[in-house]
Amino acid sequence: METVLRGRQAAEVIPFDYDAPVLYYPVRHHSPVCAWHLERAMERYQPELVLVEGPENANDLISILASPDTKAPVALYYAYRDDAGILRDAELPENELPAENYACYYPFLDQSPELAALRLAERLGIPAQFMDLPYGEILAATQAGAGLRREEAAVSYASDSFLAPELLWKKVCERTGTRDFEEFWERYYESRGLSLSTEEFVRQVNAWCLLARENTPQWEMEADGCLARESHMARCIRKAEQSYGKILVVAGGFHLWGLLHPREELKERPRIPRDSQTVYPVRYSEPAADALSGYASGMPAPAFYRKLWKRLHEEGTNAAEAWDSIVLDTIVRCGRRLRAKGETISAYDEQCALQQARGLAALRNKEAPGLYELQDGVLNAFVKGEANLAGCEPLRLLRDMNTGNQVGDLCRSDLVPPLAQDFARQCKKYRLRQDSADRQEVILEIFSKARHRAESRFLHQSVFLDCGYAKRNKGPDLMRGVGRNLIREHWVCQWSAGVETALVEHAIWGATMAEASTQLLRRRLGEAARAEEGARLLMQGFLMGLGDTADAMAHRLEELLLTDGDFSSLCGACDSINALDAWQEQYGERGSYDYPALLRRCFARILQMLPSMAAVDDRGVEAVQENCRLLYEITARPPFADLRAVFLETLEELIVQTPIHPALHGAALGLLYGGAPGKKGLAVQTAAGYLRGTRDQKLRAAAFLQGLFRTARDLLLVDDVQLSSIDALLCELEDEEFVTLLPQLRLAFSYFTPIETNRLGRQAASLHGKERLEAGNTMISPADYTCWETIDAWAAQRLKQWPLNQDEEGDDQV
Amino acid sequence: MEQIILRPTAEQRYADELAALARWDQNNPKPENWQLSPRAVRLFILGTPKGQPLELDRKPMAIRKKYYGNDALVERCIITLAGNRGLMLVGEPGTAKTMLSELLSAAISGCSTNTVQGTAGTTEDMIKYSWNYALLLAKGPSREALVPSPLYVGMEKGILTRFEEITRTPAEVQDCLISVLSDKIMNIPELGDQGLIFARPGFNVIGTANTRDKGVNEMSSALKRRFSFETVQPVGDVTLEKQIILDEVGAMAQGAGISIPLDEDAATLLATAYHELRQGISSEGMRLKKPAAVMSTAEAVSVYYQTLMGAWYYGGPDQARHLDERALAENLAGAVAKESREELATIREYFSTIVQKKAEREGGAWKRFYEAGKRLK
Repeated sequence: METVLRGRQAAEVIPFDYDAPVLYYPVRHHSPVCAWHLERAMERYQPELVLVEGPENANDLISILASPDTKAPVALYYAYRDDAGILRDAELPENELPAENYACYYPFLDQSPELAALRLAERLGIPAQFMDLPYGEILAATQAGAGLRREEAAVSYASDSFLAPELLWKKVCERTGTRDFEEFWERYYESRGLSLSTEEFVRQVNAWCLLARENTPQWEMEADGCLARESHMARCIRKAEQSYGKILVVAGGFHLWGLLHPREELKERPRIPRDSQTVYPVRYSEPAADALSGYASGMPAPAFYRKLWKRLHEEGTNAAEAWDSIVLDTIVRCGRRLRAKGETISAYDEQCALQQARGLAALRNKEAPGLYELQDGVLNAFVKGEANLAGCEPLRLLRDMNTGNQVGDLCRSDLVPPLAQDFARQCKKYRLRQDSADRQEVILEIFSKARHRAESRFLHQSVFLDCGYAKRNKGPDLMRGVGRNLIREHWVCQWSAGVETALVEHAIWGATMAEASTQLLRRRLGEAARAEEGARLLMQGFLMGLGDTADAMAHRLEELLLTDGDFSSLCGACDSINALDAWQEQYGERGSYDYPALLRRCFARILQMLPSMAAVDDRGVEAVQENCRLLYEITARPPFADLRAVFLETLEELIVQTPIHPALHGAALGLLYGGAPGKKGLAVQTAAGYLRGTRDQKLRAAAFLQGLFRTARDLLLVDDVQLSSIDALLCELEDEEFVTLLPQLRLAFSYFTPIETNRLGRQAASLHGKERLEAGNTMISPADYTCWETIDAWAAQRLKQWPLNQDEEGDDQV
Repeated sequence: MEQIILRPTAEQRYADELAALARWDQNNPKPENWQLSPRAVRLFILGTPKGQPLELDRKPMAIRKKYYGNDALVERCIITLAGNRGLMLVGEPGTAKTMLSELLSAAISGCSTNTVQGTAGTTEDMIKYSWNYALLLAKGPSREALVPSPLYVGMEKGILTRFEEITRTPAEVQDCLISVLSDKIMNIPELGDQGLIFARPGFNVIGTANTRDKGVNEMSSALKRRFSFETVQPVGDVTLEKQIILDEVGAMAQGAGISIPLDEDAATLLATAYHELRQGISSEGMRLKKPAAVMSTAEAVSVYYQTLMGAWYYGGPDQARHLDERALAENLAGAVAKESREELATIREYFSTIVQKKAEREGGAWKRFYEAGKRLK
């Protein structure tokens, strides 16, 4: 690439002249000192127009951002839906994939230079505009996977990735004795920058940015869309020059050279349909703005630098005092919080921490201690003993304090969608916090208190609308059929910027949480293709307190029951409807719909298909066994007792199918025996058939026993014949055959309780003339145990990382 | 004739650098009684950046980097010593705590020998003072009959007192430091009115302590409060570890009169093996069993040096230039399997899994290393 500096001074390459018609001011996002000098430059230059780097489709929202009633952190939330297919890979045939959604945040903190410029412009009555390409066009100019099209949960428009090319900063850090780029930046720009004149500061920022640009390959800037954006911004500036005499351009330092030497635009700009992109102002939080949380949106420790920014604006504060007082303030607060947590931190420790921070600042040629000296001071004076995981509480706390937990606020509520307003109202009603980013735990007695039930419904709605606000840790989980014996729900709530955006995204569905959930539920039910999915949605509706809607939509489930031909899906639906029917009363909501009738229809459909499941394979057999048991349990409920006879008939039909999977055969026989004890003879006879059969039948016996004991383990306890047959089988087996059968035999016997296993063991021993089975060597050395435990934990962890489909594929071979 | 000593002190070894820094340092502010300013101490330990030597009498003077791994830690140590609290360096064995404490004392006080060497048998006498009993009997308690110990010397002269392996001394003996560290006064009741020793500026204590080794005592909270703790971590970067091995062995070899270029491949093998065994994970992400022995860089240095010496004396310069992987593997096994035979199995397992993979992929020295490992008994 072209050499930018070629041995010249930065000031020659990027002039900073107060008399020029355009004044280019370089910024780093969220840098308080950049913002501080920017205010000075603006007051001196007195521009007629301020142009700020940012997608121009948010120009209408500038007044909201700049309003004195808006409290940072706030963000612009840009969303784009690729209806026009501009971003779609050309090789893929059209209309095969649904339109993709893209979104990004443009966060503003108090100390963000862009926000400072907009606010000051508002105060001075100077018009301000954004000058970058609209969001959709930026995406079009960016290659897939780069820049704003990176595949991350949330992408920040204000990314600093170009400012510090790795090779460059590593070399610089080595020379300056700093640990990383952020420490280097703080020492030379944030700390020293305050004692420089604005001109000198700008010159130094430009010098760094030019270096960074020289070290960034052209293709990278091309892929990122950086060059296309710069040429658009340059055109914006040229256009504004025709109407305004003095223009202040506030843009990322990296881009200034590109603004002065724009590339000619090669391609025609894509046409973005008007309604496929939107932008909203949203509240934002400090944790989200912290570079550590993965957004890489500028400087770390937003709360620390916010305090600096505030202190700089207090009357009569000089720079060194400002830094020093914040460091002192943070040390004292940190000490106090640690004491509250039970750590022994004395006032003298705090003194030592401050002394250390000041001493380090002097050693590092800084006028006053900064963030890194603060961290070093706390580490040195507050951590007693080894700084391992256990001893680092002070550092953890300090990091949290420096990140902060503030959440912003927007000035006008009419721009906040009604849905978000309703969410805020409900939070207030239930005393759920949404003004800070801290975790809040809530315990709800849903069966005894109506208010708690209502709160639970609200939280379920927030989950349904993907807010990411609340998570249920404990409590009855009807969806998965666990914890049905619990009477309290335990929720953890935590506000984050994602809550607001989720509400914005769902705003089209309605004005209140209930309305939006209802509409979305209707839509999802309309789209559901399988009975299981439909029944789960009904269940969700029930948990959200939208029983009426669910009732009204239940006919949709009837359709699904008729059209769905999948056995497991129907059984899943049956399970959900059964739970819904059984729990309506408990939740104090008796619906108007005839769920028992629905359940019966579902049941009938399943019974039609059951005999054909005989040929199920090894992988699916367990699910079918489980489903048979579920059906059996349903017939055990008094309202459905009449179904028992039909069910047993179907089972009889099932067991005469050939071939039948032995495990299913066993399970079905077990259930038959449970429903009609007279069938015991048949069960015993069949078992003996397997056990005494030909070799291949013998090998299937273990699977059969597994199925049988799963549903009727008492058979073995009441009948000695069974036990002796099994014993005979085991004696006849060759060693090799025995080893082959062993895993399934183990599984078969795992359904017994320890007492029962003991009893069976004694009986088996007596068959061989002994009192009890000889126990093998069960002594395991602690070392071996620990070793196997470690391996087990390791394997479990690896399995978690394994993608699910591979797991299933690899199953058989294992 | 000057007597040759096995291991010169830091101030002897780096006398020229210290003298140069003292001249460079004339205008920098320094705490009272310090030989060098904090800035010069930092330079002495961390060295001058590449290509930016000091200018002295118009001649460039480069200062060698002596401590690797964590520059900020060194800075914190220096500032702590200028303050009111003692400095306690803690961490695993072999992480260069002692070396750092020696360098700090040499640079700050010009003397790294004012040291208490802590053992289970250390008594208060060895820390504070004891008596010359002949003189005591002849003249009664007097300053003349008193034999000062390192803490006394440090207070009297205003220099640093080093306390090595503080956690090996019994807790009740350690506690004699408590009041001295907070009041900076030592009381000698036998001397009556003359019995108060006031510490002069420049006095402070640097302790080093192992936290994980066997046979260490817990420190009392009261004593902990009087120290600032700095945890010295093992070197986290293989390239850096290799550089340290080469530097240290180079210096030792030169002292022993062996002047040949060192075998970089062997240093890479050792640095990688030590790093992986210490972390319990290979560079390819494979898990391995960690040996119970301490896998410090200092150990790696001694394994290398041992192999070099064997090759030099039994093989000659050519063999010493390219170390035999077999000897390296044997020495490595010897260094790891100190406590039990089981450790040897750990090493063999390391060879049969991780080293084998590396041998297949990279060949060369790794292949020979693997072959050597197979023959371990």
